[in-house]
Amino acid sequence: MNIRNNPVLRQKLAAEYVLGTLRGGARRRFEAWLVQDADLRNTCTEWQQRLAPMAEFAGPVTPPHSVWRGIERRLDLKKAPAPWQFLQFWKNDNLAFWRSLGMVSTALTAMLLVIVMTNKPATPSYAYVATLADDKTQTAMLVTADPRHHDMEIRLASNLAVDSSRSLHLWAVPKSGHPRSLGLVKAGTTVLPLPANAIGDDVAVLAVSLEPKGGSPDPNGPTGPVIYKGAWVRL
Amino acid sequence: MSTDLTSSDPQQLKTWLQAAGKRDAAAFRSLYEATSSKLFGFALRILQKRELAEEVLQEGFVAIWNNAANYQSHLASPMTWMATIVRNKAFDHLRRTDAAVEIDAEQFDSEVMNALQDPQRTPIETLQLSGDAKALAWCMSALEGAHRQVVALAYYHDLSHSEVANQMKLPIGTVKTWIRRSLEKLRVCLAKGERA
Repeated sequence: MNIRNNPVLRQKLAAEYVLGTLRGGARRRFEAWLVQDADLRNTCTEWQQRLAPMAEFAGPVTPPHSVWRGIERRLDLKKAPAPWQFLQFWKNDNLAFWRSLGMVSTALTAMLLVIVMTNKPATPSYAYVATLADDKTQTAMLVTADPRHHDMEIRLASNLAVDSSRSLHLWAVPKSGHPRSLGLVKAGTTVLPLPANAIGDDVAVLAVSLEPKGGSPDPNGPTGPVIYKGAWVRL
Repeated sequence: MSTDLTSSDPQQLKTWLQAAGKRDAAAFRSLYEATSSKLFGFALRILQKRELAEEVLQEGFVAIWNNAANYQSHLASPMTWMATIVRNKAFDHLRRTDAAVEIDAEQFDSEVMNALQDPQRTPIETLQLSGDAKALAWCMSALEGAHRQVVALAYYHDLSHSEVANQMKLPIGTVKTWIRRSLEKLRVCLAKGERA
């Protein structure tokens, strides 16, 4: 059979090949054509591009952290964490560390000291921190980020309740350009991935907006009011 | 749903994927953070069992790292390329272990399903989906419910025409016709960028 001059059949076969319903002899014949027909390969790729977004219809589910650790181990991505890094943190960055502490509130200082002092080398060393406050400077939230483990922990003050029909949406606010979405904050403690663009030199402030359930419908910024904000300080 | 909207941007994903092709482990980690929950949700619907889905997600990302240098951005978006890898790994796994998966009637998240059935009531714009997925959702919402289900069954469960026919208790000729027509409608609709 010659399918070269039959565009309708080429589309049909490529579509069913990608969908998976092309089977048996027909599939093997099709794969043989694919080897020698670049245009047919492109037609298949176009069908993948059309159908693959169906994957997202399943809805997102966060995988356990063990999956990433397994990938890291299998690909040998992780360089052994050097114990001296923790000591360097104290020696070299001592001045910067205490200076930056001077800029944040005393309440936060107390919290930070607890974190730092209970911080053994095996546990993450927080390199970024922010306390977010409301317009009456009432502290509402503590955010600590660990760039080595690419995650951040958000602790919401225990006396704050969030209406279940709304979501608190956390943003990194750069000096110019759109705010960058960091994810949704739940009551108690939330752990979120730390994207590289959340800790760029141009990000000085974190902010939380009150949004419809599920977060801001606009990926480029809040649609609801900004209720908490605070400086994002590098330690 | 804490999908990071900014990092789902296809341009950003492309940058990370290409950097991973140059052995940039930090970019690969960012790519994982931005896409793993979507891909895990997908693997979980195919495989139904959490531990299998975890294993397949891991195998998928190992393959993504190993093949990232071959990724050609003009042919497929990063999500398409990665979802195709995960889907193939999932099906390989099922064939290898000869595992039977219990097929659920619903392949999709219930919110997505509602939007596909009645986009007036649950607007597709409000779903946490990428632009590509929203476009496909629009076009799939224009299909008849049973036709949509036939396409989804085949895509999610690697079923042949006759397996779909068994599953849906339909004559095989009907299944073949529905699939052929649905795919053609999707192609035309996506080409137009049509909105329901």
